[in-house]
Amino acid sequence: MKHIAKIMTFLVAITAVWISLLQTAMIPQSHTWLLPLYLIVSLGCYGLLMVGVGLMQFPTCPQEAVLLQQDVIEAKQFLKHNGVDVGSD
Amino acid sequence: MELADRAIGFILASISVTIFTYYTFWVIILPFVDEDHFVHNYFLPQEYAILLPVYAGVCLICFLSVFIGYVMLKSKKKKA
Repeated sequence: MKHIAKIMTFLVAITAVWISLLQTAMIPQSHTWLLPLYLIVSLGCYGLLMVGVGLMQFPTCPQEAVLLQQDVIEAKQFLKHNGVDVGSD
Repeated sequence: MELADRAIGFILASISVTIFTYYTFWVIILPFVDEDHFVHNYFLPQEYAILLPVYAGVCLICFLSVFIGYVMLKSKKKKA
């Protein structure tokens, strides 16, 4: 709940700045109207960048995979020994 | 497989950086450059800065709706 409050205040602040820019006409109106769209585009770019970086640095641990397979074999043997049907692999 | 994932991640990151730089230059910096400067030859007119993202967003939403509908139909058929 706190996080959403932070985001909402951020949005309200940005909207206030934008409306004040519209009112004071410091820069031409046509360019002020482009700013929200620019914000959305940059947000999309940020998301895409984060997905790309996450894919690039996706951690893999091959040693853990080997250990997990060993555990699976051990558990299957134990279950078979105690008369539980786990199917054949 | 790992290398392919890495390559896709790199491509996604570079695409996003490219779009961000180009769009920033187009929207933020270009209005302050003189009208008859040669840089203007490399950019579309200012209206397209609005039209293209809106068009892309509408396409994205259409694609998402179609995809969600397709998945829902498929899962319903499997249940029956």
